[in-house]
Amino acid sequence: MNTISVGDKAASSRLNHWVDPSFTDFPGESFSLSGRRKGSQVLGSKAEPKRPQKRKGEAGRSNPHTLSYLLRESAQRDQDEPWVDRYSPRSQVELAVHKKKIEEVENWIRVHTNTSEGNILLLTGPSGCGKTATVQVLAQELGLRVQEWANPTNLEPYSSSQHEWRMNSFSFSSQLAQFQDFLLKTNKYNCLKMVGDGGPTDRKLILVEDFPNQFYRQPGSLHDILRRFVKTSRCPLVFIVSDSLSGDSSSRVLFPREIQEELDISNISFNPVAPTTMMKVLTRISTLEAGKSCGKMCVSDQAVLATLCLGSSGDIRSAINSLQFSSLPDTSLEKGLWRMKERPVTSLGKAVSRMNQRKKSKQTKEPEDEQAIGGKDASLFLFRALGKILHCKRRNHEGAEAAECASGPGLPSHLFQHHRETLLVDPELVVERSHMSAEFFNLYLHQNYVDFLSEVEDVERASEYLSDADLLTADWTSRSTMGDYGSSVATRGLLHSNSRQVSVGFRPLHKPNWLLVNKKHREKCLAAQFLFRSFCLTPVSLQTELLPYLAKLTHPMRNQAQIAFIQDVGQMLQRRFSARLKLEALTDKEPGQLETDTEEEKEKEEGQGAAEEGLLGSQPQPTTNQVLLEEEDLIIEEYTSD
Amino acid sequence: MSLWLDKYRPTSLGKLDYHKEQATQLKNLVQCGDFPHLLVYGPSGAGKKTRIMCLLRELYGAGVEKLRIEHQTIVAPSKKKIEINTIASNYHLEVNPSDAGNQDRVVIQELIKTVAQSQQIQSSTQREFKVVLLTEVDRLTKDAQHALRRTMEKYMGTCRLILCSTSTSKVIGPIRSRCLAIRVPLPSTEEVCNVLTSVCKKEGLLLPPELAKQISEKSGRNLRKALLMCEACRVQQYPFSADQDVPVTDWEVYLRETANAIVSQQSPQRLLEVRARLYELLTHCIPPDVIMKGLVTELLSNCDGQLKTEVAHMAAYYEHRLQLGSKAIYHLEAFTAKFMAIYKKFMEDGLDAMMF
Repeated sequence: MNTISVGDKAASSRLNHWVDPSFTDFPGESFSLSGRRKGSQVLGSKAEPKRPQKRKGEAGRSNPHTLSYLLRESAQRDQDEPWVDRYSPRSQVELAVHKKKIEEVENWIRVHTNTSEGNILLLTGPSGCGKTATVQVLAQELGLRVQEWANPTNLEPYSSSQHEWRMNSFSFSSQLAQFQDFLLKTNKYNCLKMVGDGGPTDRKLILVEDFPNQFYRQPGSLHDILRRFVKTSRCPLVFIVSDSLSGDSSSRVLFPREIQEELDISNISFNPVAPTTMMKVLTRISTLEAGKSCGKMCVSDQAVLATLCLGSSGDIRSAINSLQFSSLPDTSLEKGLWRMKERPVTSLGKAVSRMNQRKKSKQTKEPEDEQAIGGKDASLFLFRALGKILHCKRRNHEGAEAAECASGPGLPSHLFQHHRETLLVDPELVVERSHMSAEFFNLYLHQNYVDFLSEVEDVERASEYLSDADLLTADWTSRSTMGDYGSSVATRGLLHSNSRQVSVGFRPLHKPNWLLVNKKHREKCLAAQFLFRSFCLTPVSLQTELLPYLAKLTHPMRNQAQIAFIQDVGQMLQRRFSARLKLEALTDKEPGQLETDTEEEKEKEEGQGAAEEGLLGSQPQPTTNQVLLEEEDLIIEEYTSD
Repeated sequence: MSLWLDKYRPTSLGKLDYHKEQATQLKNLVQCGDFPHLLVYGPSGAGKKTRIMCLLRELYGAGVEKLRIEHQTIVAPSKKKIEINTIASNYHLEVNPSDAGNQDRVVIQELIKTVAQSQQIQSSTQREFKVVLLTEVDRLTKDAQHALRRTMEKYMGTCRLILCSTSTSKVIGPIRSRCLAIRVPLPSTEEVCNVLTSVCKKEGLLLPPELAKQISEKSGRNLRKALLMCEACRVQQYPFSADQDVPVTDWEVYLRETANAIVSQQSPQRLLEVRARLYELLTHCIPPDVIMKGLVTELLSNCDGQLKTEVAHMAAYYEHRLQLGSKAIYHLEAFTAKFMAIYKKFMEDGLDAMMF
């Protein structure tokens, strides 16, 4: 215990100074705050000034006995406070999360606080969907202390004097050790009872949002710690991991499925905040603010809120931030006020028309034209992006006729077979939002497109477009430029080929086989050359002639590896119309995980000859670098070529 | 025990079984003392390498048969290590530069340089030059071929190149003009039969002429394949019977079944099955272009005359793309889909014609 607290106490006291010294005036108040803050105080690893401030604002609004405190605060400071903190939810009702989800989490917490063994909950979801808020609110309502781990910001210069270094040496233990320590201690010891501490809240909940970096490099070390934790612990542990769209989804790295199963980790996945819920929250905040500012601040009207809501793509934190920013009173100039008043009006008109349009055609791309302030880049999970292309949504007929009248005469009769209704998606945008390289997106499309087409003719056209797309990106020198065109050809080609437009219902999507097959092909070719180099054959004749026949001969092989290889490669199971290769289903929200192959391929294409490395990794190394063809050649082994 | 293929490989120009006239010419070439760079080309299994080894033996004597396999590491200017296997004797060095992929240029330059810079020890009793044998020249990148042209001229004094490839079409003009081109055609069916019979006689086996003929036909006059087939026949059944089945490789059977699957039904579902089979072939080390070729041959045999031109045209189109593109499966599948569409249309038209 001492090891950490001595080192960190300094830091914590310093931090507290950073945060706000005003707390010293109100010890009672500071202790009536949630136990989480205290936990962090005791452990001294609390670094964010944001949270306490939030609590303070909240307390100021809710507790009457802190009014005097509030009065002392300057109005300026109050204004600076982010609304996100000021209006952070305090009860389940205020949470912008679906009731079912809250219930789910609540049930979990209820069940697992009462048992005396350690359990782990993993909350995932996009950023700003209220994961942390849910845990905080529930913990408060259930009377749990939240003890949160934050990465120690121990940045004492290493080169300080010898003495100091000795003094602080214990705090130089690795983050990993500190994390382990933290889990152990929060588990074992209760917080000190403080005066004014309300109620016997010795039940607690450990929250980890911030992972020591080491875990990303070696997830195994986290797993070891967790295994130990599960065996010894008495209180629930909650991990919060934000989903990311890029390949390195941390929840997958840190908590692979095997570990989740092994340690019985429950996983609750949050969805982005629904627009209606978000509208409610935004409206509430803006009315409250408007009331408070006594007309100084203009009330943001519904249309503006709607734009904000659309632009934030389900991230409530960013939506509230944008709201605050957009309603900032511009007091510097008189004109500014005018502008402020005018702006919403114009955007109101636009937004209203947009809303109407949206209702009519359900087009999804409008909010792009004018991104709301601080709008978030909209993004799509791969699963959805693929679905958008493969399912091929087009405008239905009534709308189409109107569009046709507008766009003049249709196609001439001999080209009429190429007529298609207007698309409801913008393929380029979909690819862009999937955050995937065009090449891999095409691979995913290729793996899955056949299921969505019913006619051979359609399949033929689609496959031709895919072939075209590959041809466009074939040359690696121009690939960066051509990639976009390639994906454009592929996606639009697929959409166009889907002429029947029958709704196929749900079809599972799969990960592309090609990368694996290609890798295997390369590896095996190299292995073949390596193992059978004494035959001095070119690869093609080796693979298509010698190996298959060797499988049929009783030719004594020199070593085990060769025998195994021949059995593997030379023989093929003569299954009639074999079932599909083992397909790996692509699940919702899964990032395209293709990193290793990508690198390898790129390396190869850039002429780095990565293949050789693959061989050496996967094949038994030759013990000597000279293998003799014939026994009688032993004599000349000593020969060197120079 | 080694394969018949290696056991009965002729070792001198005089012992070659066919194209004897060419063998004598080569012998004369060697006896003249010096010879130019050679470009030996011809289809696979025609005996190019055998002929080259015979030539080398004629040049240097039996010492050239003492081969060793070396694993060489070459450091490219970009500090990238390239590992490559070479087969060498005291007098020559054999290397397949295309093993190094895109770095083949470096391999060619470095290897030839090291070989060419070292003189023969006793130039009085031996030839003044060493020989570098490059196989699969047609798979070299353009870069490497240009580098080769320069190297050829530079080290003419100490080193001769023998280039070996299946076709000259992918060898750039400047190289072709610097070499004496020697074409090694496939042996005729009778020649293959003769070789098979003589090999079997040496093994102490009796090969019925009918079976020999059947093997030589099935092998497509590829002598390597014929000998392997013959040996497989021996494993399968001995004494030979005249009408016994000649074993065919598993992948060929698999490919034939795939073609049958395409012909028997044309639907998206079937295409998925075919795709899985193509993947299966690829994982068994069958190169995409071989798959394409085999598939077309099988499909054509199922086609009606007027369809054949169209199918062949498409095959050529997609084969070309296969060479240019980076992901073979797109093109293989596009070809399959195209064939399905054409074939289906053809069958439907035919059915309509029958009705009326």
